Amino acid sequence: MHYFSQLCHYDHPWAHVVIGMWHKYPNPHCSHVVTIDTLDRSVDPETGVIRTERILGCKQKAPLWVVKLFGGSEDAFVREVSFVDPRTQQATITSVNLSLSQFATCYENIRYYPTSGHRTAFQQTAEIQSRMALWRGAADKLEGWLVQRFEQNAQLGKMGFTDVLRSLWESKEGQAAC
Amino acid sequence: MAHSLSEECTPLKREYDACFNAWFEGYLEPVVSASSRPEERQKFAQEKAAEYERSCGKIWVQYRECVQKAVKEKGLGSLLEQARTENPLNDAPPSSPESSS
Repeated sequence: MHYFSQLCHYDHPWAHVVIGMWHKYPNPHCSHVVTIDTLDRSVDPETGVIRTERILGCKQKAPLWVVKLFGGSEDAFVREVSFVDPRTQQATITSVNLSLSQFATCYENIRYYPTSGHRTAFQQTAEIQSRMALWRGAADKLEGWLVQRFEQNAQLGKMGFTDVLRSLWESKEGQAAC
Repeated sequence: MAHSLSEECTPLKREYDACFNAWFEGYLEPVVSASSRPEERQKFAQEKAAEYERSCGKIWVQYRECVQKAVKEKGLGSLLEQARTENPLNDAPPSSPESSS
């Protein structure tokens, strides 16, 4: 597991930053984000919180070793869920990769909150974790199953050979006895 | 404005985004400046939620239908479902101690 975090400030009021959130892309600094679609959006009539689920399409070349090992293409997709709470002046954005998610996940959390009437803090954290632990679990299970199967077969083999020896030598002894 | 997943949906997406953004700006400014009582705030949120539905509801339905189709066609449906199952994110994450609420 790897962590990433940073905290910085924008010299803009919180409302302006949050309005700007929806205008972030397309952006020449982040040309890898090429498509954005809203999948779901709701406004809670009780709290006023807006929840938005989006899918972002990115185009960024992966190194050859990644493509060789894990497949995939330069098209990658990300699911993003955001909450904007005008009452508490909190905006949170959580993102997770959809592409290659069977191998690794990258959870990103962003929070925008006001530190004054004209300043907004930007807090970003990310957790990057490969699913190798999962693979290890599956590998252990496979080994366990193989050991069990081997023991069963070994037992059967021993019983089978005992019978062969018995019938082979008992009949000869029988013949000899005649 | 960015493109949609499917070029077919891009015009619908742009119309919807423009509608939402216009509404959102009007939603945020007064709510933020409102040092009003909770019940007034709630009344405002309810009115604005209804206004959003009135102004953007129709284009939203068309756009969503287009995107849902595109998501399926691109084979993203199951990945999306898996992500939703693992972490539905139905509610906002709890506030961190650094934030001043």
